[in-house]
Amino acid sequence: MFRHLRTLQQVSRRTLSSSARAQLENKVPHKQKLFQEDNGMPVHLKGGTTDALLYRATMALTVFALQSLLVTHIREFS
Amino acid sequence: MAHQAHAYHMVDPSPWPLTGAIAALLMTSGLAIWFHFHSTTLMTLGLILLLLTMYQWWRDIIREGTFQGHHTPPVQKGLRYGMILFITSEVFFFLGFFWAFYHSSLAPTPELGGCWPPTGITPLDPFEVPLLNTAVLLASGVTVTWAHHSIMEGERKQAIQSLALTILLGLYFTALQAMEYYEAPFTIADGVYGSTFFVATGFHGLHVIIGSTFLAVCLLRQIQYHFTSEHHFGFEAAAWYWHFVDVVWLFLYVSIYWWGS
Repeated sequence: MFRHLRTLQQVSRRTLSSSARAQLENKVPHKQKLFQEDNGMPVHLKGGTTDALLYRATMALTVFALQSLLVTHIREFS
Repeated sequence: MAHQAHAYHMVDPSPWPLTGAIAALLMTSGLAIWFHFHSTTLMTLGLILLLLTMYQWWRDIIREGTFQGHHTPPVQKGLRYGMILFITSEVFFFLGFFWAFYHSSLAPTPELGGCWPPTGITPLDPFEVPLLNTAVLLASGVTVTWAHHSIMEGERKQAIQSLALTILLGLYFTALQAMEYYEAPFTIADGVYGSTFFVATGFHGLHVIIGSTFLAVCLLRQIQYHFTSEHHFGFEAAAWYWHFVDVVWLFLYVSIYWWGS
């Protein structure tokens, strides 16, 4: 029974450490290549689709909140 | 592709200063609307926009420095000046609250009973949790220095461990202080004693949380191989900020907790 436990321990250690090693792999050279590509994109959009989505969401929130302040609440002040 | 003939950083156009400014507008006017019209919506929207701005702006700085190589020695020098000037402005911020404390405590008015602590106030024992908090922050100053040396010597595992320990100590301080706030026999509404105590220690606590967050970002970056033994200014800035937070606490402890009891 203890031999089985020992094998389980060795297998899980090996699996976990190899997957952990894969996650902690140095991705900086890959990022450096991505962000130094000569595609004319500004740094805030150069990462890809997620950048564009986050940017659009931020600007939408900005416009919505600003119009909410100026249109809705300024009326109350006047 | 055009290459620059200088070592400085001409940044790409960015929307984040605009969104940041609008977030500040929304938070301040939102605060006024909360006070007068009982609605927190605008203030909350402003806070969300602020968080989005901070995340994307600092993400872009990491891209410009670590991935695009724009942080040359002259640029780094400018960043160092910037961080030092910012911390100096924060020193002046705290100086104001210390001025308020000493103004009220050095010449206590008859309304307070002519004494400090004022009549009816039971101050916290400076040799209990506040002393532990002092030890915790001093220890965190040691661990953050250990982390710095580990980074400079290329000791990856030690750097991660010591940086994580620093953050844990910061969180421990915050938890202890939160417990002290809950258990305190006086409140912020208890005259000028309450005001000076909670505003000064409260802003300090906020800075501990900010500093811990900055260090946590550095931990993530260290794990992701962003820092080299020669170039790790983001970490240095976080360490400077952390030492500043520690020094402010030492002044708070000696002035408010110890002398003020």
